[in-house]
Amino acid sequence: MRRLFLIAATALLVASAGCGGSSSSNGVVNVTVWHGYEDIEGKAMTSAAARFNATHPKIHVTVTNYGNADYALQKVLTAIRGGAYPDIAYLYGSWAANIARSPTAVDLSSRIKEPGVNWNDFWPAERQAVQVGGKVIGMPALVDNLALVYNKKLFDQAGIPYPTANWTWDDFRAAAQKLTDPSAKQFGWAYVADGSEDTVWRFDALLWQAGGDILNSDNTKAEFNSPAGVQAATLLQQMATVDHSVYLDNGNDNYANLFNSGKIGMLFTGPWDLSSFPDVDYGVQVLPGLTNHQTISGPDQWVLFNNGSQRTQAAWTFLKWFTSPQQALIWSTQTGDLPIRASETQLPGYDAYVKKYPGVSVFVQNEANALKARPVIANYNEVSQAMGQAIEAVLLGKGQPQQELDQAADQADQTLATGQ
Amino acid sequence: MISRAARSEHVSGWLFVAPAALLIGIFGILPIGWAALLSFQNNDLLTTPTWVGTQNYHTLVNDPVFRQSVNHTIVYTLLFVPLSVGGSLALAMLLNARIRFSRFYRTAVFIPVATSTVATGLIFNWLLEPTYGVANYMLGKVHLGPYGFFQDPDQALYSIVAMTVWGWLGFDVIVYLAALQGVPESLVEAARLDGAGRWATFRHVVFPLVSPATLFLIVWSTINALQVFDEIYVTTRGGPLHATTVMVYYLYSQAFEFFHAGYAAAIAEVLFAITLVFSLLQLWLGNRRVHYGS
Repeated sequence: MRRLFLIAATALLVASAGCGGSSSSNGVVNVTVWHGYEDIEGKAMTSAAARFNATHPKIHVTVTNYGNADYALQKVLTAIRGGAYPDIAYLYGSWAANIARSPTAVDLSSRIKEPGVNWNDFWPAERQAVQVGGKVIGMPALVDNLALVYNKKLFDQAGIPYPTANWTWDDFRAAAQKLTDPSAKQFGWAYVADGSEDTVWRFDALLWQAGGDILNSDNTKAEFNSPAGVQAATLLQQMATVDHSVYLDNGNDNYANLFNSGKIGMLFTGPWDLSSFPDVDYGVQVLPGLTNHQTISGPDQWVLFNNGSQRTQAAWTFLKWFTSPQQALIWSTQTGDLPIRASETQLPGYDAYVKKYPGVSVFVQNEANALKARPVIANYNEVSQAMGQAIEAVLLGKGQPQQELDQAADQADQTLATGQ
Repeated sequence: MISRAARSEHVSGWLFVAPAALLIGIFGILPIGWAALLSFQNNDLLTTPTWVGTQNYHTLVNDPVFRQSVNHTIVYTLLFVPLSVGGSLALAMLLNARIRFSRFYRTAVFIPVATSTVATGLIFNWLLEPTYGVANYMLGKVHLGPYGFFQDPDQALYSIVAMTVWGWLGFDVIVYLAALQGVPESLVEAARLDGAGRWATFRHVVFPLVSPATLFLIVWSTINALQVFDEIYVTTRGGPLHATTVMVYYLYSQAFEFFHAGYAAAIAEVLFAITLVFSLLQLWLGNRRVHYGS
């Protein structure tokens, strides 16, 4: 899962620029890559393509920004329908099952065995995320997890010690309350309360910590309305509607600006947000826990689409190069993203990367707390929406945890029963 | 049998409209037909579609979110159309008076129409932000609020109405201004000489004379309002808790978030039927009430 790269706006502004690109007469194969990277990451993407083009005279890679990555799947699907689609696209991990159904997506299961790929060097969560049935539908593009990011100055002002690795939900709730100051419009915590996957995946971490799960083991029935789910939703309810210590973000990513302005004490967020906080002296700690300190990891992938064998081969050459340890470390150093391969941590440049991004080492270690993954099923979006509505209702004080989660579970069960 | 002359006229007539007819056929009629077909399918836009008969329509009837979306669409339309058409007539009357800087005011009124919906949406998102937004700050100064606006399920739809009326008012004003320029000065003067006051002049002379513009605006605004989407997409995205899920937004999320293209097409067909009924009703009423001049 990836944050909203830009506010919903760009989704409309950036019309999917026609990809075109076929092999030209001089034997150079054109490859088109669609991505949603902005700013620093956007520049890093462009420079990666330039480095590749300079060293691979027979291939020319063009990178195109498709706007907000939250809506990328529909754009790519529309492009496939239209017959002019990219060779490679950045797509969220939660879409893996949808992508696997498209005959246009290239199955990489034999290619990942090629020498030089070193498949097992990728983190387990990444490898799981791209495997659907017997297929491998993409190469790992990014791995994230949620940790607790906090504003040190606000903690000092409130006279409370910084979060520790042993923090409990109670410690967390109490601190959030102390960090809240209505007169200064200052909140202890922020939660994205738009009912989207942003709302859901933060809840997932709490659900898992309480010992619950989203669905049963064979993905046929909802289980998020278990006592564990209710416990997690109740924490949100108490903090949002009783303590009023939570800033409810309506999905426009205001929380990042507000954290950077010193209006919010703590966030559950990932490494992608760190570059948005230049004005804050922040610390990073693993999530507060209940029975354990589980987090959720959201791997995303580069999916390869079949535009004929020549272009597919060229696109694969690029992907293999781009996800190699050396290139991945350059990427991480430029952007602050976590290493996608374990071996990156052994490379000489790794120390410089850790120094450049304070707190990032906590995220790297936190990858070990990512024990579970969201279900890889084609109708995950509908299950997620049902959960999102329930959590949103609880946060807004419009419903009770048990009742809302039960209702959402019914809806999810219906969706799962249709098996679409 | 038609005569040879008439037939050649027939042929050349068709030749003249052929380019337009072809374009409308390809981009209008054909997609309408295809969407109708789609509504009887189970189609995820990825795999081979299957024929399911009227199942999508049966599901629609029992879908609570769909019912909500119909309600929201109708409530929105019933608010948006009178407010924007009525408001614009009042504004146009003011702007039609000979006042200083009237050209400037006319331009100012039209600016929101020319501004991109995305920009408008972003600005309103911040203006109406409950904790830090300017709207609540100003209202607080006069001891009102704070309001949740887009974040309160009970206020979100009305906030969308306010934003879109503001955004579209300028267009209606321009149409009314043109119509008002066409009202003969002599008629207004005659009414005055007969002792009609300002209201009576407006009610019995001006209003009937601009009625063709009113009919056009009502039909046009209604069709637009029934299909409202952009403004919602860039602000509330159908939320909170489906409070601003209108038919087109629901259609969009079914087709492009959940990949139920067939189901989405069925929603589109229902919307088409509703639009048709509204438009026919308005045109029928219009034929009885609208004054098209001599």
